[in-house]
Amino acid sequence: MADAEEGAASVGEPLDLVRLCLDEIVFVKLRGDRELKGRLHAYDSHCNLVLGDVEETIYVVDEDDEEEETVRTVKKQSEMLFVRGDSVVLISPQAPS
Amino acid sequence: MSFFGFDTSLPRDRGHQSTAPGFGQTHDPFAGLSQRNVSANDEVLDFEETYDGLGDQLDETDDAFNDDTFGGEPANQQSVGKDFDFSGQTAQIADTMKEEQMLYAARQPPQRQPSPPKKSTRPARTGYEKYSEPTYIPELQANASLWGMAPRQPSQDVTESYHRKHSEAVPPTSNRKMMSLEEVEAMMRAQNNLKSTTPQPAPQTSQPQPRVEQAQLPIIPPQQGPHPQGQFPNFSGPPQILQRPQQLSEQRFQQGARPPPQGDKQNQGVQHAQVFQRQRQAPMELVAHRSQHTSTPPGPRRTPQPRQILQNPNRLSGHGQPIAPSLSRPSHQAHLTGPMHARGPSYPGAVVTNPQQLLNLSDEDRAAFLAEDARRAKRNHKIHMLSLGNGLMTPQDKNFITRIQLQQLVTATGGVDDQDPEAALTEDFYYQVYSQIRGAARENPNQPANHFAQTYLFQTGGRYGLAGRRHPRGGDNHMQRMEQQVQRAVEAAKAKPKNKQLVIEGSLGKISFSNAKTPKPLLNLKRTDSADVRPSSAGRRPSRHAAVLDRKATLRDIENVYSDLMAMEDHERHLPPPLNENSDPESIQQHMEWRHTIQDLNQKLWRDLKVMEPIVPNSPVPHPFIAILSHPKGKKTVPRVFRHIDEQQRVTILTMIVVHLDTLDVVRNALLHHDEPKLSRMAREEVELFAHSVIPSLFSYINEAPLTIVIGLLGLVLDRTNIQNLVRTKIGLSILTMFVSRAEIFKQSSAPGDLTDSDWEQWLQLYNKLFDIAEPVLPYIFPGSVNDTEDVYVWQYLAAMGVGASPEQQQRLVLGVKDRVMETVNVSKALPPEIAATRLGHVNLFMRAIGLDVELLG
Repeated sequence: MADAEEGAASVGEPLDLVRLCLDEIVFVKLRGDRELKGRLHAYDSHCNLVLGDVEETIYVVDEDDEEEETVRTVKKQSEMLFVRGDSVVLISPQAPS
Repeated sequence: MSFFGFDTSLPRDRGHQSTAPGFGQTHDPFAGLSQRNVSANDEVLDFEETYDGLGDQLDETDDAFNDDTFGGEPANQQSVGKDFDFSGQTAQIADTMKEEQMLYAARQPPQRQPSPPKKSTRPARTGYEKYSEPTYIPELQANASLWGMAPRQPSQDVTESYHRKHSEAVPPTSNRKMMSLEEVEAMMRAQNNLKSTTPQPAPQTSQPQPRVEQAQLPIIPPQQGPHPQGQFPNFSGPPQILQRPQQLSEQRFQQGARPPPQGDKQNQGVQHAQVFQRQRQAPMELVAHRSQHTSTPPGPRRTPQPRQILQNPNRLSGHGQPIAPSLSRPSHQAHLTGPMHARGPSYPGAVVTNPQQLLNLSDEDRAAFLAEDARRAKRNHKIHMLSLGNGLMTPQDKNFITRIQLQQLVTATGGVDDQDPEAALTEDFYYQVYSQIRGAARENPNQPANHFAQTYLFQTGGRYGLAGRRHPRGGDNHMQRMEQQVQRAVEAAKAKPKNKQLVIEGSLGKISFSNAKTPKPLLNLKRTDSADVRPSSAGRRPSRHAAVLDRKATLRDIENVYSDLMAMEDHERHLPPPLNENSDPESIQQHMEWRHTIQDLNQKLWRDLKVMEPIVPNSPVPHPFIAILSHPKGKKTVPRVFRHIDEQQRVTILTMIVVHLDTLDVVRNALLHHDEPKLSRMAREEVELFAHSVIPSLFSYINEAPLTIVIGLLGLVLDRTNIQNLVRTKIGLSILTMFVSRAEIFKQSSAPGDLTDSDWEQWLQLYNKLFDIAEPVLPYIFPGSVNDTEDVYVWQYLAAMGVGASPEQQQRLVLGVKDRVMETVNVSKALPPEIAATRLGHVNLFMRAIGLDVELLG
């Protein structure tokens, strides 16, 4: 058990890498031009995530009269967030800055 | 031996040939073809001719020889059973077995009847006849002479073959009986004895011969001289012929039975003469031709023999029909063992138009004549073979293709990157085969050839052999050319590394060559260039890269620790019911196992914590355990870990932390600088987390630790860490407070006997040292400004120091922190009463420790 689990804990499957990010700040990109940055508290095999101290960034494209597109960002802060896995595009460990 | 000795050409054995390569033997697509040709193009043939005669060997009605075939005695069967191990021991002596097999096959009187001469135009000679013969096995050493090997045809074989001939000649008509090897040997031995006494061993066959010998002796010798040796320019010389003793008997028969299309008259004459002879011997046979077709009588089969006597005694033995009587043997031997290319003694081909003429020849001369005749026949046959075109491919074609393949050998190996072309070559299939062919000098027959090389040679080596046999010179030339080519190519490959790319001037790109060893690269990345370009920035990168790797490794370590913790906590839940005096052995056993498991888990946890990793002083990379502690989740493990480890492990962890105190992130990153008086939120959180998770665990241990441990730990701190940095951080101060207060409490609470003077002396020394080091920075140990309320730990530290301080040291303490005390008192006057009371209370921790009170300052 010992060695097998050790190997599994290192790199058994992709989600094992996500496991390394537990309790770390992660950057999560979502469908619909949204990004999250927060501490990963929990995840499962569907990439459902529970994040704490999340800063959500939404990119909104505004089209003005001259058909010029400008990107505007909306930011939201959430203390705790449940993210459904089907909207997760990527999870990236965020090195502490 | 009996198993391997029995005749493998029995039809029922075709499915499983003991001598055939057990694997990799490709189906011969021409086997059926040649047979079909026989039946399709040759309606004139009677059944005997199309029939391979194998059926004749079957004795359907008589089971008497079943034991000979299958080994009757149980003991025999047991040994046979062992010999069946083909893939194992048997495979190691496969070569030897093969040779034995061939020898035996050669000794066996051939049962097949050659087709009559009139069928000479039959397309059956496609060059593939051999492949239709299931027992055909090319000799591994067939081409040995090519590579400078001496032809391995000992003269003894000649004698043996003669013996065999005689022995087999004994049962002339009832030759259906399959003789076992033992029988043959026994007969040979008997023959030897017999021969020593009488030159006529076999009464029936040899009777006419002695007479012939004696009668013809004087006639031939004069004719020998005048005939030029170069009479047969195409004759390639005996060595090649002798090399291939295991010729296919079938071919031989065809050669012998069907004279080449040129229709050598002499040949016919010889045949007839012999036939007549046989007829005399065996009057039962009605017609010579008829008898040729029948498989049983040995007489007609002898006709082809004479030609081959000199060329290949083994072949002769295969037919088992001695034409030359035993008396003539010595001279023959001399021919064979002497220089083979000396054609002097060969019979110059006296025109024998009359069978009687042949009979009149002396033994020696007749043998020579027959040998010459055989050569001629062979040559004619060769010409015939060449002219036939052989249907699909000639052996030359095959050799040509083989040469191409061998050339490929060079192109497929020896790339630029190969440090050792030799090593690369050894992986090459063709090289293996090549070396196998060349390295025919296997000292030890048991030394197994390379597995696949064996397979390869079994299949394709036969083609070389066939070609060589059929066209001795041509085949040899091919082989020689091949060898030279290979040598040249290999040398060239060794000499100059091949260019993997060809850059044509003016072209935009490169042409890459690909071969099996170095496939054409689809992406052409200039690695060396990129390595050169980057070194300027490389200085930073590796460290950052290492840091990332390190971080990942640390995260992995933490996860391992968590896994262990969860396993241990889970295991704790499975604690079997507590034991009592009445516990049955089973529950005791359970307890034992449980404890054993928890021990294992503990060991694993201990390993994963990496506490015992060697400490590398001044290493840029923090100690693994300290790295674990630098992560929030790593800090959180400590309380859980402490629950599962014993005292020794705890003190080890504590020691580790203490030794690395100033490299802890909560100390390193918590140092306040003048330009940034407040800690970052992250650092503050880390410090808080450490203070709440790690410190209590350490504290709980220190609170019960003996003074010696505290002394040791404080000594470590003083030795290994920068105290002046330490005291400016909350964690550092907390730990120092821990030690100092523990020592003070120990002194006050312990019984007089517990505290030895030397210990206390030691402690006081360390304390004084700590005090001296810390005193200069006392004004700076407070975090932030006076308004910062979170300074209780400082007051705690000061209190701890003050309690144990001497009056003089207390004075210095007060002097050091006097300003802060006064400021705090002043600030608190403006604060709400509760907060002010708290703050003053904090200050009072220290003031009271040195026997003062803030009230006195008021």
